[in-house]
Amino acid sequence: MSLLAAIRNLWHSIAPRTHSDVEEEFRSSLDAYQEDLIRQGFPEDEARRKARIDLGQPAAQNETYRRAIGLRPFDELNGDLHYGLRALRRNPGFAAVAVLSLALGIGATTAMFSLIYAVLLHPFPYAGADRIMNPHFILAQHPDVFQWFTLSEAQLDDLRLAAPVDSVLGFTNRHLEITNDGLPEDISGVYLTENAETFLGVRPLFGRMIELFDAGHPVVVLNYRFWQRRFGGDPHVIGRTLEMDHAPYMIVGVMPRSFAFNDIAGVGDVYLPASLMRAVANGPAPSYLPWIKLRPHVTVAAANVALEPIVREIMKIHSVASLAWHLGLQPIIVPYQQDLGRTLALLLAGVVLLLIIGCANCSILLLARGRTRQHELAIRTAIGASRWRIVRQLIVEALVISGTGAVLGVAASYWLARLPLLLSPDSFPAESVIRINASVLAFSVALALLCGILFGLAPALRLSRNDPARSLPGRQAGVVAAPARRRWSILIAAQVALTLLLVATAGTAIRGFLRLTQMPLGYDPANVMQLGISLHVDNPAEWSRLQSREARPAYIEQIREKIASVPGVLTVAVGTDATPPFSDRVDTESSFNIDGTGDREQTQARVMLVDQQYFAALRIPLLQGRVWSADENSSGDSIAVVNRAFATRYLSSSNALGRQLRIPAFPLQSRFTASSAQSTAWRQIIGVVGDARNDGIGRPVVPAIYLPYTTLMRQYVEFFVRTQGDPLTYLHSIRAAVASVASDQQISNGAFNLNEAIEHDAQYSRQRLFSILFGVFSAMALALALVGIFSVVAYSVAQRTTEFGVRLALGAPRTHVLWVAARIALVSAAAGIVVGLLFDSFLGTVLAHWMQNAFAAGSLLAAAALMALGALLACLLPARHAIAVPPAEALRYE
Amino acid sequence: MTKPVELPQGTLEMLILKAVSLGSLHGYGILLRIQQISGERLEILQGSFYTAIYRLERRGWIKGEWGESENNRRARFYALTASGTRQLKAETAKWTDMAAVVAGILDKKAHEI
Repeated sequence: MSLLAAIRNLWHSIAPRTHSDVEEEFRSSLDAYQEDLIRQGFPEDEARRKARIDLGQPAAQNETYRRAIGLRPFDELNGDLHYGLRALRRNPGFAAVAVLSLALGIGATTAMFSLIYAVLLHPFPYAGADRIMNPHFILAQHPDVFQWFTLSEAQLDDLRLAAPVDSVLGFTNRHLEITNDGLPEDISGVYLTENAETFLGVRPLFGRMIELFDAGHPVVVLNYRFWQRRFGGDPHVIGRTLEMDHAPYMIVGVMPRSFAFNDIAGVGDVYLPASLMRAVANGPAPSYLPWIKLRPHVTVAAANVALEPIVREIMKIHSVASLAWHLGLQPIIVPYQQDLGRTLALLLAGVVLLLIIGCANCSILLLARGRTRQHELAIRTAIGASRWRIVRQLIVEALVISGTGAVLGVAASYWLARLPLLLSPDSFPAESVIRINASVLAFSVALALLCGILFGLAPALRLSRNDPARSLPGRQAGVVAAPARRRWSILIAAQVALTLLLVATAGTAIRGFLRLTQMPLGYDPANVMQLGISLHVDNPAEWSRLQSREARPAYIEQIREKIASVPGVLTVAVGTDATPPFSDRVDTESSFNIDGTGDREQTQARVMLVDQQYFAALRIPLLQGRVWSADENSSGDSIAVVNRAFATRYLSSSNALGRQLRIPAFPLQSRFTASSAQSTAWRQIIGVVGDARNDGIGRPVVPAIYLPYTTLMRQYVEFFVRTQGDPLTYLHSIRAAVASVASDQQISNGAFNLNEAIEHDAQYSRQRLFSILFGVFSAMALALALVGIFSVVAYSVAQRTTEFGVRLALGAPRTHVLWVAARIALVSAAAGIVVGLLFDSFLGTVLAHWMQNAFAAGSLLAAAALMALGALLACLLPARHAIAVPPAEALRYE
Repeated sequence: MTKPVELPQGTLEMLILKAVSLGSLHGYGILLRIQQISGERLEILQGSFYTAIYRLERRGWIKGEWGESENNRRARFYALTASGTRQLKAETAKWTDMAAVVAGILDKKAHEI
């Protein structure tokens, strides 16, 4: 309302008097003059006539008024605009294609820029996110392996005092259990040092973040997704109580959707003050992962140098002290840049191609249409329109198209920007909320205007240069000026070449993805679910019961049997961190020794801690020997099973069965782990199993050693449940079965089936993203290019009706006329295909590297064939009209 | 009848301001008054006359208001505003100065230089 009023005010200040006001005044003057004339003796009719001749028409007076107050340019522009719109309405097919070409290009470009902005430039909602560092040790031996370290509260304080440091946030994740209703639910809690509010600087959706005065108080802040899931998005949740681990916590805040702290240690469902950690941990002082926010203008290198002595001092008591290491601060954005930068750059290149194709298409259409309008413009020039006036008219028309295209494109981009996130949610930071932001919007509008001027100006200048004496009879001759033809031939060829590039890229992406999906997995993920259980290490009474090496397998076995007794459950297996396909893991391989070889050889294998049912549950075939028995499983020692990759790589010279191996050290020992009596002693290989993917979906299987899980037990354990039909439908009865063993034993929220684990594989999800998006881009580009060719041929046929009629009348064969009609477009398309092929084979190696996928000659040729077929159809369909012209009718135009 | 005079560029507006300063008038009335004062010697083009009126109103030197004309017809009457009065004074002074200077030059005889 106020906006309307503002516009009205503005308009009033520009043109204070209305049309009728001006007209009425003029009429009263006219009448007064007329009366004077009558008084002077003129007859009434004569007087009215003379008054109109002397003073003018009332209708024309408004023009005088508007010119007097300086509004004439607006009026002319308005006229151009109306004329342009009318011309578009007269030719809706042309308008639709031109607008759609731009809308697709602009929409896709805006979407991709928004995505890049959200993911690469501004993925985190934190204040000063570019100054937040994630500190690592970088070991001299393995410079590519980053190792995090934890610090105590006192050590965090030491860091805070360092010169380059602005502030330090400490956080630690812990499983919590919701205890006040029904079956226990396991949730992830993140304990934050109480400076969280100032450090992160994210405005909560409701209530507040953890603040300094919360120290020691049982308060909790909810994650958005958890709030949605648990409380159905209830805004009145603040002040209510959430019972976790049998203790009440007051809800003081809900964080916005963009806040998903954090993707390093796991996104929390709830956030709590770190001081509460001391109360629950009842062990040694709690330790925190640090995030360091540097002061502004401090470089990472300088901070590394300044902080290293402090960290070295702190680490004296730590186990890495003996190894050679140096400190590496990594901006929190870096992991995503590495993973995603290339993907997004490639997608952006595809999108920019699409935009260029869209603009070229629009230009072709405008050029083709411009030719049919030469006559009209020549007449306007002949009756005195200035060159500037015509240029302006054409630019206005082009801007009408590009403006409409931009508006539609921005609307389309809202949808398109969400597409990559929907298709490949795991390749993006959980926190990046993709929205069309103002700068991107400005970019796309500028792009649209630039396009308008770019392709509006070229035809406008050419048309306005025409001298009316030449263009007026030019229509009768029905002959097109050669330069015009050449220009759009080049545009068509360029468009076809670029489209071919996109189509070939899409073909490669799709082939790559298909190859990935058809790759043998070595295990059967269908109808298998993984679910995790965390033992109650924080409850001293329960823990003392489960802590012993003997009690734990019994407890786990009890749960396993209960799950197995649920109707519909076929097999249940146990494992520790043994979920295939192990995507994107680093440093998970252990060293081992084999009998008969010295320590000289670098021998590394993935150690999998599982039980004897694991192979049956995942349907991993046994190739040689046997799997261990239940007794052997509970002892855990002296036996091992290896995979085929292990046997071929390390035992190629002899039979694998009966050989001995030992693992001298297991990683990740803690006070919660329990090892078997002789976990590091020699073991006999009793069986060889098939290769199941264990290094991500697209990479070769690495050598693996399977050991009974009782060799090394941690505080959590995984169950693999094979069921009849969708395993997730059994989740409730399985929860009940677990709770029947121990009433508050919870199942982690991370229950998922193994197909899901494959879909979350980064390579799988990247390839799928590539193939779908490039498929969509190339389909759009192909459609645009073909429609462009189609309209050009259709226009030229319509314009040259007379010529074709004459040719037919003079006895030209129909095939020849068809060839004449389609020739230019066909030749340019063929040239475009040739150029595209050359271009592709040149770019092939570069693209292959970027897409991490071979740029196959097959898909290139298929793309070229598709393009050629499409171009042929797009030429011949409209060219048919040329031979359908009845000669008599065509000649009648002469 | 005496010979009609053509107006130099820009003087029409000054004349309109003067005509309006003698009492508020509608557009046609202004036209008549100027012609009357000039002794019917000025030929005023209709197009430029209304353009001048609109421009003066736009600049805020005259202000139009609807009223009743002498023969009971609705008409738009223009009156001089405060800034219009100042403008008229300034224009008049400028014109007199200029006329005096030009006349002075034109009056000079050879022996007076």
